[in-house]
Amino acid sequence: MRKYLSLVKMLFVQQYKTRVTSLPGKKRRFGSVMLYLLMAVCFAPLLISVAVAMYYMGKFSQGDLYVGTFLMLACQGFVLMFGVHSIMSNVFVVKDAERLLFLPVRSPVIFFAKLTVAYLNELLTSALAIAVALVPFGLGAGAGVGYYLTLPAALFLILLLPMLFGSIIAMPLSALVTLFGKNSAIKTILRIVIYVLIMALYMYVMYSFGFLTGSENGNFLDNPEVVIKDLMDGFVERLQSVMPYFHSDYMLMMCMLATNAGEWFVGMALTLIENFALLAVMFAVSLPFYRKMLAMSVEGSGSSERRGKKTYSVKNRGVVREFIRTDVKRTLRDPQVGFQSFAGLIMMPVIVVILYFFMGLSSEGDSSFLEFIGITPLYQVIAPLVIMAYMTFLGCSTNVLGLYPVSRENRSLYILKSLPVPFGKILLAKVLLSTAVMLTGDFVSCVLIVALFGIKWYYGLAMLATMALIGFGSMCICTMLDLRQPKIGWDNFNQGLRNAKNSWIAMFIAFLCVLSLVIVSVPFVVLYGLTDGEGWYFSLCMWIMDLALGVGFAAVTYKIMNGKASKYFDRIEV
Amino acid sequence: MIKLYNVSKTYAKSTVKAVDDLTLDINAGEIFGFLGPNGAGKSTTIKMLTGVLTPDSGTIEIDGVNLADNPIAAKSIEGFVPDNHEIYDTLKGIEYLNFIGTMYGMPTELLKQKIAEYAALFDLTEALPNMIGSYSHGMKQKLSIIAAVIHDPKVWILDEPLTGLDPQSAYQLKQLMRAWADRGNTVFFSSHVIDVVEKVCDRIGIINHGKLVAVDTLENIRADGKLSLEDMFLTITSDGERK
Repeated sequence: MRKYLSLVKMLFVQQYKTRVTSLPGKKRRFGSVMLYLLMAVCFAPLLISVAVAMYYMGKFSQGDLYVGTFLMLACQGFVLMFGVHSIMSNVFVVKDAERLLFLPVRSPVIFFAKLTVAYLNELLTSALAIAVALVPFGLGAGAGVGYYLTLPAALFLILLLPMLFGSIIAMPLSALVTLFGKNSAIKTILRIVIYVLIMALYMYVMYSFGFLTGSENGNFLDNPEVVIKDLMDGFVERLQSVMPYFHSDYMLMMCMLATNAGEWFVGMALTLIENFALLAVMFAVSLPFYRKMLAMSVEGSGSSERRGKKTYSVKNRGVVREFIRTDVKRTLRDPQVGFQSFAGLIMMPVIVVILYFFMGLSSEGDSSFLEFIGITPLYQVIAPLVIMAYMTFLGCSTNVLGLYPVSRENRSLYILKSLPVPFGKILLAKVLLSTAVMLTGDFVSCVLIVALFGIKWYYGLAMLATMALIGFGSMCICTMLDLRQPKIGWDNFNQGLRNAKNSWIAMFIAFLCVLSLVIVSVPFVVLYGLTDGEGWYFSLCMWIMDLALGVGFAAVTYKIMNGKASKYFDRIEV
Repeated sequence: MIKLYNVSKTYAKSTVKAVDDLTLDINAGEIFGFLGPNGAGKSTTIKMLTGVLTPDSGTIEIDGVNLADNPIAAKSIEGFVPDNHEIYDTLKGIEYLNFIGTMYGMPTELLKQKIAEYAALFDLTEALPNMIGSYSHGMKQKLSIIAAVIHDPKVWILDEPLTGLDPQSAYQLKQLMRAWADRGNTVFFSSHVIDVVEKVCDRIGIINHGKLVAVDTLENIRADGKLSLEDMFLTITSDGERK
């Protein structure tokens, strides 16, 4: 037990340790506190919306056990998609084998310690999100004190199911990738594709319960309570046949909503037994696989060695091009960095398709909702703007290539410092790459939006051009910020950098970009609306202003980045 | 060829000077061995020479080019073999050399020719199409050495270059260093292997606690002419500052 606890402590602490890279100067603690406060203010509307929705879900369902279980399951799915999947993959990506294997500790202890660390990481990042869903639900449902007293224990237990699925998914995923992947780049692409498919499946399953379908009692505006009750009844009916299969969640929610001690004890006892069984299954299933991965990492699979005649080409393609080429190869071939960097590329198109799919589902009769709004002039002005704002926010805030362009170099940053190349050129290559990756996803999304959502092609082009400029500017700022305080010396990209300040800053920058776009555009939308769709020139002016904003933003941020590059670069100590 | 004037460096998170008022002049056609115990300031000095670290004070000139004023020109005439092996593991050996050659502005044909020449010399031709991550410690070291010389630098700076090399490659490297210096270039290298320094170097410098405590030819450093370099090294570094 002592060995296990020491290992957990060492692994947990170690993953967050990156080398301090100089940066003399005054501490910016006040600035950091302000940033987080500002972020909290920015994200408050989103969190409040979720909380209000959960409150009403609790209220209208009157604390229904099945609805509560569904909510728990939705939280678990969310955690599985955005956290556990990658963390579990990290457990199986055995990079520290040589550092751990010589220790007088059995491999199951090492494995269990790694699982524990993965679990703790997820607990740290997910507990608040789950609480934001469950607390308002309880308030809306009028749950008793027992609900809130059981909540802390529930937060610990809820994560076990995604952990089990995460480990189970990670195994065939690795096997599939090994089967099809001839090289690391293809493996990364396969991982991304499979991940997006799983995400699409999750969204499909969640939407298939059809919360907003099934009311046959007239208009919402005339009789809202009847319509909502009708919707809720239909929803509960659909859940009744499925939720009991997720028995541990069902029991946990039963325990939380219990009205007497006997019910609480039965629910808690069964929950603990089932979760313990889940843990045992996870351990039993995953350990042999972990051992196999461990053996492969030490002995080597030999897959990297080419057989047959070895050929290679040598060509000077110019500094910026060579930088981009090399960066793409290095990123794609690193499973952790590659997955994080390129997953966003197909995330947005998939979201567009899913959105279309579900909007299509809600349409009835011959003339669908989309066909109807497609011919509405105001839709043609507002929809591209809303979609562009959403895509800009998502693209800028999740582009890992742009968030950590310098930290990604890790310990080999000295190579860049010793090269006879102006650092501004290196940064330009990095910004171009991150913008290009973001734009590739945006381009596909725009094509899909034009094709599926009936938006005019020239609006699609205008969106793409604006997003390119705003994206470039945003990447310049992120690159400069990472350059100012890079995190060097990490062993695990996901765990070392995923909670770093850059992600928050990027979200904030993306938020500001979107806000600026909205501020610039809204007056023109209003004017366009006042002309009943006749004033096309207002729409034209809006796009010209948006593009001008993009050009100005890109030019100013590039100039600032270029001006400060050498100063920040010189300060880095590697 | 290499000139350091009163160069000092203190790391940001430290109060101790890693390099303290270092002044050094290394001539063309010379192999200069840089000795010192662990943490003496050897690697810090080398990193400053190669532009990886910026000195807090002092001046560094490479072939008359001020490193601070014109870093690109100064770096262009240097080749650097680091002491760690943190080269891009997810690149193939050939891709890494192609990358380095491009950064030094080498024409494609010359780059091809140099890669073939040095890869053959260090017996690395077969391994070039493989990922660097699959290389052994010694192979990575060979790749670093090749990457440092393909652009034909006037100043060759090597930090612990013999670590991990097999005897054959170590021999080849020593021969190459000698040939490099004989062509009028400068070789600056740090090592813990005193025997090698004794055999290869024209002049040596000993650094301790960031200060240069001895610099001269081997014969002159040996005060009575009987002590071995190892004895001298141990005496100098244990006595503290002595110049």
